[in-house]
Amino acid sequence: MQNPSKGFIIVASNNVNFYVYAVNLIESIKDWYPEAQITLVTEERFIDDRADEADNIIFCDNHYRAKLWGMSQSPYDITMYVDADMDCEHEDIAKVWDELGDRDLVFHELTPEREKFYAIREFRYKGRMEKYTLCGGVCLYRSSNPLVMEFMAEWFELYNKQLNNIWQPEGFDNRQWNEDLKVFDQTTLWWLTEQEDKYKDLKIGIFHDDIRWNYFTQYQYENLHSIEGKPPILRHYSGSLHKDRLLV
Amino acid sequence: MSMENIMADRKWLDNAFWETPQKELLNAISETTENNREVRQVHKIPKTNEDGTENELFKEVLEYLGEDVIDASSKKRLEKKQAEAEMEKEKQLEQERAKKLEKLFEYKLETFEVPEIKESKNRLLKSKLRRSKSIPEVNLYAMLIVKDTIDNAESE
Repeated sequence: MQNPSKGFIIVASNNVNFYVYAVNLIESIKDWYPEAQITLVTEERFIDDRADEADNIIFCDNHYRAKLWGMSQSPYDITMYVDADMDCEHEDIAKVWDELGDRDLVFHELTPEREKFYAIREFRYKGRMEKYTLCGGVCLYRSSNPLVMEFMAEWFELYNKQLNNIWQPEGFDNRQWNEDLKVFDQTTLWWLTEQEDKYKDLKIGIFHDDIRWNYFTQYQYENLHSIEGKPPILRHYSGSLHKDRLLV
Repeated sequence: MSMENIMADRKWLDNAFWETPQKELLNAISETTENNREVRQVHKIPKTNEDGTENELFKEVLEYLGEDVIDASSKKRLEKKQAEAEMEKEKQLEQERAKKLEKLFEYKLETFEVPEIKESKNRLLKSKLRRSKSIPEVNLYAMLIVKDTIDNAESE
């Protein structure tokens, strides 16, 4: 495909604070990358003048995980999804498209040294221990590939079924499923990427020096840094923001 | 087993080190065989007994290992401890920096909610505010943005 369209997807739903985070993120991306094309997926009730910073707006409903639905609505050929509670800090954001290569989906990796900052990483499945390895905080994907878009749509649909006790595959520890796994969209992501034959041909990879693309502020507590000694591109404030407290 | 036999059988690991710079207290690990089993024991051995006489155990370790070996081991241990302390200090500093950054980010978000800043279209100043490294710097740019918004409103 010659000159594929490229753009960012940022989703803010359910809580007005996420709209404030999203507006900040959009502006911060444009501070470093003024030509960036950005689609804001949000609820109509949140909209104010600041949404003008987005190049495109798609309305979603009041869903806790509208991010998954938003990812399936990308108008671009190549899409970079970024969690709203992040901040762009580096001009290398403009190079994000180079990270895709010949792959279909590119993620940040949950590694053993980073696992203490995640709610859960290991779980039991069919009598053995399995691990989440992909983090959905950022995701670069080939949205021109129909299978990728089907993947995104199914991620959302299956997650809803999972959350509402409509879908629970065989092989999981029932107690762990209900207490820990059911609420996570990562469980659905693991299932789709590791167990679903339909998506076996998708080329899934990890960003080069991936810590720069999703630098959780807590990584700094443990002195975790870029392998190339470069500063973060996108800093993730997920663990530190008071999301349910009104900003003003 | 007689004391002589115990001494003859007893080995001292070469990681012994001085507990004090004056070399008056020695930390050493002995290794003996009891009932075909290796037994290791940690000793803190003062140079002299309470009555001021020479401590035979201290003398035994010194003769077994040699003062040079204990000096070298003490130096290595000290360097390792210093490096660990340095690393811990650096980790603490990084954690403080991260926490400061987290607070600063939330402060910026609150500042962006001030009506005059929220409605400002001054991309340059808003970008400066976003890149501010401290709360005073945020406040400075916040004031400039508010002034800019008021000036624009007056000129319209």
